[in-house]
Amino acid sequence: MIISRQKEFRDILKTIEQQNIFIIGCGKCAAKQHLGGETEVLEMKRKLGKSGKNVVGCTVLSSACNIASWDDVLTQNPDIKKAEALLVMSCGGGVSIISSVAEKAVYPALDTESLGGVCRDTTVLEQCGMCGECDIWIFGGICPIGQCSKNMLNGPCGGAVEGKCEVDERKCVWDEIHTKLKSLGRLELLKEIHHPKDHSKKRRRK
Amino acid sequence: MIREKLLSGKFTITAEISPPKGTDISGMMKEAGMIKDAVDAVCVTDNQRAVMRMSPIAACSALSQEGFDTIMHLTCRDRNRLALQSELLGAAGLGIKNVLVMSGDYPTKGDHPGAKPVYDLDSVQLLGMISRLNNGIDLSGNRLEGKTDLFAGAVSNTELTEVALMKLEKKINSGARFIITQAVFDAGKFSEFIDQVHDAGWKKIKIIAGIIPLRSRKTADFLNSNIAGVKVPDDMIRRFASSSDPGALGIEMAADLIRELRGICGGVHIMPIGTHENTRKILEMAGL
Ligand code: SF4
Repeated sequence: MIISRQKEFRDILKTIEQQNIFIIGCGKCAAKQHLGGETEVLEMKRKLGKSGKNVVGCTVLSSACNIASWDDVLTQNPDIKKAEALLVMSCGGGVSIISSVAEKAVYPALDTESLGGVCRDTTVLEQCGMCGECDIWIFGGICPIGQCSKNMLNGPCGGAVEGKCEVDERKCVWDEIHTKLKSLGRLELLKEIHHPKDHSKKRRRK
Repeated sequence: MIREKLLSGKFTITAEISPPKGTDISGMMKEAGMIKDAVDAVCVTDNQRAVMRMSPIAACSALSQEGFDTIMHLTCRDRNRLALQSELLGAAGLGIKNVLVMSGDYPTKGDHPGAKPVYDLDSVQLLGMISRLNNGIDLSGNRLEGKTDLFAGAVSNTELTEVALMKLEKKINSGARFIITQAVFDAGKFSEFIDQVHDAGWKKIKIIAGIIPLRSRKTADFLNSNIAGVKVPDDMIRRFASSSDPGALGIEMAADLIRELRGICGGVHIMPIGTHENTRKILEMAGL
């Protein structure tokens, strides 16, 4: 799941110059995180209206980043034609897909943060650093590129205080990696020296 | 020279100096002047605590022209592998012989919180890369015209979790020849760390104990709540509470600690809060 965060409403308002707006939510990740489902789209509609914008309509697509045909979207939501701008409440993937087909000004309502997931109803953040050469098994299935702020591959930095990461409010992920590998009986994986990542694997592809 | 002295087993003294925030090096030179001939080398920080300053390579070069032996800090925070290597070749070209590598405090701790954190390599990988440069090849396997001869060290806390100890071992196996520790206040606790190192069989590594001379109870409290890996013991804090001259007490405690450490480790590394005005006195009182 793509993890996103709601932008400040005043920042959204500042970026949208146009008056007539159509709002598009996303029924996948954004809806699961209560950031782009029906409730949030209707709330956005109310707020924009209160701030003097004219919301010509709104919808929640089943998935903003997976659109079979823009014509179908238009047929089902003819009010989009009346809009000068679209406000998309999805991750950057959805915003860019809609931007590529809509031929109108498209604005994001969310900031995209990381690749996470949902496990037993709990949303977990930053599960994958999207490095382009996955070797997560070495770290007991816990990605240090995604979860360690300094992307350390050979063990913790010296900055954790009583298990808390130097950078943010989270625990130092290296303690978790260690505990997990210990429970799996694979501590020898930690003893190996892991070489720097090959960032050319992240290059653009056709 | 620090490398020879440390390797010969003599007790070695280093001291931390920060490059200027600006182009005027006179303050840094004055600071270094206070400890000239009292220390074996000055250790020059690299955007310490993520606060932007003059590059340590330039500062080391200026200091070595004045006759100082230097140790250049190098963090993984601000440079990718290309920049780290060219910096190291440049350092070697300027006659800088010693480097101390570390991950580096995260940018949000400093004065440019929005800076892109690099961390292309970690300290283990950086040490491995220095070993390669010393062998005349770069990280991609290309042969160098002229190799480096860098004496590399790493940093460590003194209370280590199992996983942190494993990382320390990798640092040593990747080419760290000496370790400068986070500030030590309790010689007894510190010797447990030394035992840990000996038990692990890392006989050749030289350990230099970090020393932060306290100035008052306030500085002790500040260190306890703000610096990872630092623990000023309660009895030291109590002594400050009942002292009428905390400045003199801080000097005395630092000197006592250094005297105790003499038999335990390879040297001490003085990191004052503020200036080095008391460093010479502390070392003299410690009998050095
Ligand atoms: S404290 Fe742990 S998780 Fe945080 S940056 Fe350091 S190694 Fe990474």
